[in-house]
Amino acid sequence: MLIKRKTADVQRGRLQAAMAGLSSGVMDRRAFLRRSGLVAGGIAAAGAIQIGSVRKAEAQGIGPATGTKIVKNICTHCSVGCTVKAEVANGVWVGQEPAWESPINRGSHCAKGASVREVVHGDRRIKYPMKLVDGQWQRISWDVAINEIGDKMNEIRAKSGADSVYLLGSAKFSNEGAYLFRKFAAFWGTNNVDHQARICHSTTVAGVANTWGYGAMTNSYNDIRNAKTIMFMGSNAAEAHPVSMQHILAGKEINRANVIVFDPRLTRTAAHATDYIRIRSGTDIAVIWGMMWHIFKNGWEDQAFLAARVHGMDDVRKEVEKYDPKTVEDITGVPEAQLKRAAETFAKVKPATFIWCMGVTQHSVGTANVRAICNLLLATGNVGGMGNGANIFRGHCNVQGATDFGLDISNLPCYYGLVEGAWRHWARVWDVPYDYFVTRFDQVPAKGGRPARTAKANMETSGHTSTRWFDAANLPAEQVDQKDNLKAMFVMGHGGNTIPRMPDAVKGLEKLELLVVADPHPTNFVSLGGRKNGTYLLPIGTQFECSGSRTCSNRSVQWGEKIVEPIFEAASDYFVIYKLAQKLGFAEPMHKNFELIQGKYGPEPSAESILREINKGGWSTGYTGQSPERLKLHMQHQDKFDLVSLRGAVGSPVENDFYGLPWPCWGTPELKHPGTHILYNTSLAANNGGGTFRPRFGLTRERTLADGSKVNDTLLAENGSYSLNSEIKDGYPEFTMGVLKKLGWDAELTLKEVETITWVGGANIDAVNWANDISGGIQRVALAHGCVPYGNGKARANAWNLPDPVPTHREPIYSPRVDLVAKWPARPDERTLRIPNLHTSVQKAAVEKGIAKSFPIVLTSGRLVEYEGGGEETRSNRWLAELQQDMFVEINPADATARGIRDGSFVWVSGPENNSKARVKALVTERVGRGVAFMPFHFGGFYQGQDQRGNYPKGTDPIVLGESVNIVTTYGYDPVTAMHEGKVTLCQIAAA
Amino acid sequence: MARMKFLCDADRCIECNACVTACKNENDVPWGINRRRVVTINDGKPGERSISMACMHCTDAPCAAVCPVDCFYTTADAVVLHSKDLCIGCGYCFYACPFGAPQYPKVGNFGSRGKMDKCTFCAGGPEVDLSPAEFQKYGSNRLAEGKLPLCAEMCSTKSLLAGDGEIIAQIYKERVVKRGYGSGAWGWQTAYKETIAI
Amino acid sequence: MRLGAHIGLLVTGLLLTFAVAFAVPASAQQVNPTADAVREQQFLDVLKGNREAELQGRVSIPDQRAATLERPAGRDWRQFHQGTMLWIAAVSVLGMLLILTAFYLIRGRIRTEAGPAGSTLTRFNAFERFMHWLTAACFIILALSGLNVTFGKLVLLPLIGPQAFTNLSVVAKWSHNFLAWPFMLGVVMMFVVWIKDNIPNALDVRWLAAGGGIFTKGHPPARRFNAGQKVVFWSVVLGGAALSVSGFYLLFPFYAGGVLNLQFWNVVHGIVSVLMVALMLGHIYIGSIGMEGAFDAMGSGEVDLNWAKAHHSLWVEEEIEKGQVNPGPRLQPAE
Repeated sequence: MLIKRKTADVQRGRLQAAMAGLSSGVMDRRAFLRRSGLVAGGIAAAGAIQIGSVRKAEAQGIGPATGTKIVKNICTHCSVGCTVKAEVANGVWVGQEPAWESPINRGSHCAKGASVREVVHGDRRIKYPMKLVDGQWQRISWDVAINEIGDKMNEIRAKSGADSVYLLGSAKFSNEGAYLFRKFAAFWGTNNVDHQARICHSTTVAGVANTWGYGAMTNSYNDIRNAKTIMFMGSNAAEAHPVSMQHILAGKEINRANVIVFDPRLTRTAAHATDYIRIRSGTDIAVIWGMMWHIFKNGWEDQAFLAARVHGMDDVRKEVEKYDPKTVEDITGVPEAQLKRAAETFAKVKPATFIWCMGVTQHSVGTANVRAICNLLLATGNVGGMGNGANIFRGHCNVQGATDFGLDISNLPCYYGLVEGAWRHWARVWDVPYDYFVTRFDQVPAKGGRPARTAKANMETSGHTSTRWFDAANLPAEQVDQKDNLKAMFVMGHGGNTIPRMPDAVKGLEKLELLVVADPHPTNFVSLGGRKNGTYLLPIGTQFECSGSRTCSNRSVQWGEKIVEPIFEAASDYFVIYKLAQKLGFAEPMHKNFELIQGKYGPEPSAESILREINKGGWSTGYTGQSPERLKLHMQHQDKFDLVSLRGAVGSPVENDFYGLPWPCWGTPELKHPGTHILYNTSLAANNGGGTFRPRFGLTRERTLADGSKVNDTLLAENGSYSLNSEIKDGYPEFTMGVLKKLGWDAELTLKEVETITWVGGANIDAVNWANDISGGIQRVALAHGCVPYGNGKARANAWNLPDPVPTHREPIYSPRVDLVAKWPARPDERTLRIPNLHTSVQKAAVEKGIAKSFPIVLTSGRLVEYEGGGEETRSNRWLAELQQDMFVEINPADATARGIRDGSFVWVSGPENNSKARVKALVTERVGRGVAFMPFHFGGFYQGQDQRGNYPKGTDPIVLGESVNIVTTYGYDPVTAMHEGKVTLCQIAAA
Repeated sequence: MARMKFLCDADRCIECNACVTACKNENDVPWGINRRRVVTINDGKPGERSISMACMHCTDAPCAAVCPVDCFYTTADAVVLHSKDLCIGCGYCFYACPFGAPQYPKVGNFGSRGKMDKCTFCAGGPEVDLSPAEFQKYGSNRLAEGKLPLCAEMCSTKSLLAGDGEIIAQIYKERVVKRGYGSGAWGWQTAYKETIAI
Repeated sequence: MRLGAHIGLLVTGLLLTFAVAFAVPASAQQVNPTADAVREQQFLDVLKGNREAELQGRVSIPDQRAATLERPAGRDWRQFHQGTMLWIAAVSVLGMLLILTAFYLIRGRIRTEAGPAGSTLTRFNAFERFMHWLTAACFIILALSGLNVTFGKLVLLPLIGPQAFTNLSVVAKWSHNFLAWPFMLGVVMMFVVWIKDNIPNALDVRWLAAGGGIFTKGHPPARRFNAGQKVVFWSVVLGGAALSVSGFYLLFPFYAGGVLNLQFWNVVHGIVSVLMVALMLGHIYIGSIGMEGAFDAMGSGEVDLNWAKAHHSLWVEEEIEKGQVNPGPRLQPAE
């Protein structure tokens, strides 16, 4: 596509040329960093940096004898998974070239990806371990840091229990890092282990998994090229997933596809829509049901699909009847004609895909929102094929992988739930007695009228969520359902400004006895509040300084190679976890299966060996076929994969594989399963990437008929719906040894497989199933017969185990439409995951206090393309920081005029709780409608008008600081996952 | 010889600013100098379009015409370059440039703008190709390496095209025909006195 | 200042109309951002009616000048700078030189008819002479360095080569930037000190009607400054002011409010300065080789009584009344 000039006489690369003229001695990487640290420094100094100074320093550092090598890693920002191609000379990352061969990004990047080199040149990184002593940061050694942290953890454990230490992990971890951290939590003895998925797609995972089996994006970015209708809701891919837009816009152009965007803001994504529909924040269910109303009324639903593959749509039909166009327009603000057209297009112009992000998930009805969308997809038969599906764009580079590996309060790695069988499964994989883990967990005394819990029961109880960690520190002990309140936070790669109610977080921080922030950059956890002691800051290398695999949103697993050693005194995640385990006394059992290699500061487990252990245990999710060797082969042959189908070219070493072996990649690596590009796709054979809906909610369900009699509806697929070449031409349950025996296929198991199955099953060998058969034999035999190991079931339109089995519209906790609250109230108060969840009380209090009058503007939040997450890393990157220098609030010109606010002037945004306020710049724009404001969530370092730059250790403060939107955001938590309500609250804005 | 041009397909541009940071990454452009930028027209209104803009390497470049010290020159690829050794930082090229391309390290300080800096189409400057001196003054010389400007190569949606004018015009034309819309080859009329007829 | 503000308003006004022309009505039925996409042709159409239209958008960086996507108006400025300006400069400067040469050849040096009287009058005191020469010296360097911007690359560059020319131009630029300040100071001082003698009056009409006596014998009566000198005075004051204001904006572009205004000030600066150069050439001529005795006024400050009587008869009368005549050395009574 791009045309190059070929200059015959120029063969040398830029760097070789740069080197040729230089005779100065070789400067090592450290010396280089010292030097570049001198030239670069802050906004003021940044202006004085002369062009080329950094590269000049590099050039001086490169000896004439050394060459450059190309190292491939994966961008550490969003979940698209762009390959980063680094030129490395002498241990210094000197250049970045487009990775044309990657089928995902084809050389492209966004602002973040194109500037990642700066991350590893960061003069604002944490340079050495530090601790806070009477408000002063002191440099300490790694050994001292690990020792003191470990001692304090043990002290808290002895006093308050293991659950009082919160282990907050990261979506930035590699798969191996995430898995290791989860394993660490198991050995420590707590389920209080979480990461960013909690605040981005926890509700998606819950909603989607409860609908059709797995909590992940069903198709891929590339597959959107096949779509004829692309519907966005609460997703601003242009800013949050820019490279995905390459595929989306290609689909839009090639197929002349309809692009329908629902959003309260006219986003950069909406600017490329063919149909933009502005909705009121927090009315997603009403919008979806409003569309479904037209679909059912006009008979646009896919009857055959529903009959064969979906259970319970009639229950939805009943609910949807309430959502006639008038009601829906009143709730959502969307005129009937617009919604009808969208519904008709989605149902008729197929394949149609639905893309959603945090605009849908971050609500007190997040899980229900997701379920409503799933129902729309099911009703129109838009799941399980090319160009359709639930394309859930995840946020961080490995949030999918970290979720998969159970950095989650309610799962063990690969979605093995917190039940005894699952614990036993992993105990077998880890080769550690199950009883060991029971001894590690707290016994919870009876309190607050709740019965006591044994250690085993506690081990099987979901942990406390990261969205409300401070509540676990602040609330009276009897309200917190664990041995004691939270006393310590061990935060590895997680921002402190990404969850609402920051004034409460400040109080929580002050209550903590121990705060450890292990990160490449000091996060807002460090700058916030007035801690004086008991705070440790550990420098961690970024994923560019670490090898390992990462799973992008489309479930493709990509292997990233360490580009440079961790800079300054930073260490890898693997090292820190290993070291701490060593200090706490369980390094040996925890690492017994791993190969220990020499890292920067000593032995640490190799990523490859960790992945092999994952392969050994990840049967439930199909994380077993992705051996390090296969993944590395894929990275080496990226150019052999088809852009649209992601299939490896015939005759190539990766023939037939899907790129990155998207999970489920069944069986052992030797089985050569190609991975699953599109989930639940019955048009492919199970051993070739095909699939069915997963029957994980029983085999039948009782239904009461009108006459009072009861029938049992099957939950298995019907009407000849099965994956291609399946020998069972009907629905079937998950494969167990017992099922194999019934089918007479058990004879095909090898002796060794039977031996393992017997070992796993003990007395009850028939109960050994596809997910805990460590031999992989059951999966192998099922696949050999064209069957999907987990069975062939129906998706559920009615998820009877969830709080709102059939979603219903509920007004946001802080609703601007108080008149609708009575008819569409929030859920009654309940307990969600160890603490109270006061939906109704808070909503009622807001109505009674007249909050909607004194705070008349709806506030929503979202991403900027330049920054990511809490933003410390990106705000420390001078190339990105220059592009967004101020925190701002988008405000409609009408609202601005009424308040005497000019574009670019400072305003106070105040929130309805805690007298919170934030001083930010006004961005007067019609992107937001009247009565709506938007703030990005990446800023931190200012607190209610106060500059907190001084709270960062010297030289590590991000270039750009600003107020966090979450100072003014408010209460509101999803009843399933405790997802916060970050996308809708109320505020008032006044000129500052 | 090819006639190099830039073309921003505004119907693909999503203002992701990759071109901006790619440029900074490749050429080590300091804070405050924006060789490339993305401007959004009609921001917030339906129909808003973002356009990535840098030096367009005009035919009969105005900057070159008005330069009092004649420091500009045009390469065989029709890339408009200048010599920082000869530039006196007078600012005239900035007055004349239709695209706001010329940048100065210290604008506004009593005439001490410093040497003008602008997009080089990743083609370096008058120094010896790929020499450290060239890199320090002008940034990289990808053209000499047989590569194209990194901004276009890294564009997230393949919106920004760089290369032989005829070929990128052809690509754009095909896109417009295929998809049925196109908001125009922004800046071509002004820079090259021609546009792309569809 | 006012002119600038006026132009500024004008520009803003045009941009507003332009923005209105771009607004897209959103249908209540369907908002289709793809179909409603702003097209470059809309801008080009606006441009046909208004060559100064700028295409403005939004950028996230603080430098709002970067928000201008296209500004083809630079074309007109370029045409002016490379064409009109050259012609105006060439015609006025070379033209004036030609006229002066011709005048000298025809009229020759204007002599004091009565011959030297011997006694002198103090025409300009030391301070007045200081401020004149300060301004004059600055002006000459400013003029030469300014002309270098317009003519340098045509005249000097081929002679001395690019690097030497750049070095020279850098020196010229810095001289221009720094000497602008004493020049402005000089103009202000001259204005304050000499304004009272430069108020136009009826005498000036007669003086001008008589052509200042250049072509005839005998000069019309004049006070301290005759109408010709008043013309020079007011040209220096007003022209100096124009140069100062325009130059200030060119030096401090942040205050100019956009490139279109900078272009405007550049045009003002260019035209006024070449006209000033032409006028000053005349001034220099008449104050030096053009007229006998004139240089003394700014040289020693003392002018011969007869010269003064010839050119400033009324002023001499006033001075004699005040007893300000210095008897010449030869007239001192021998006692």
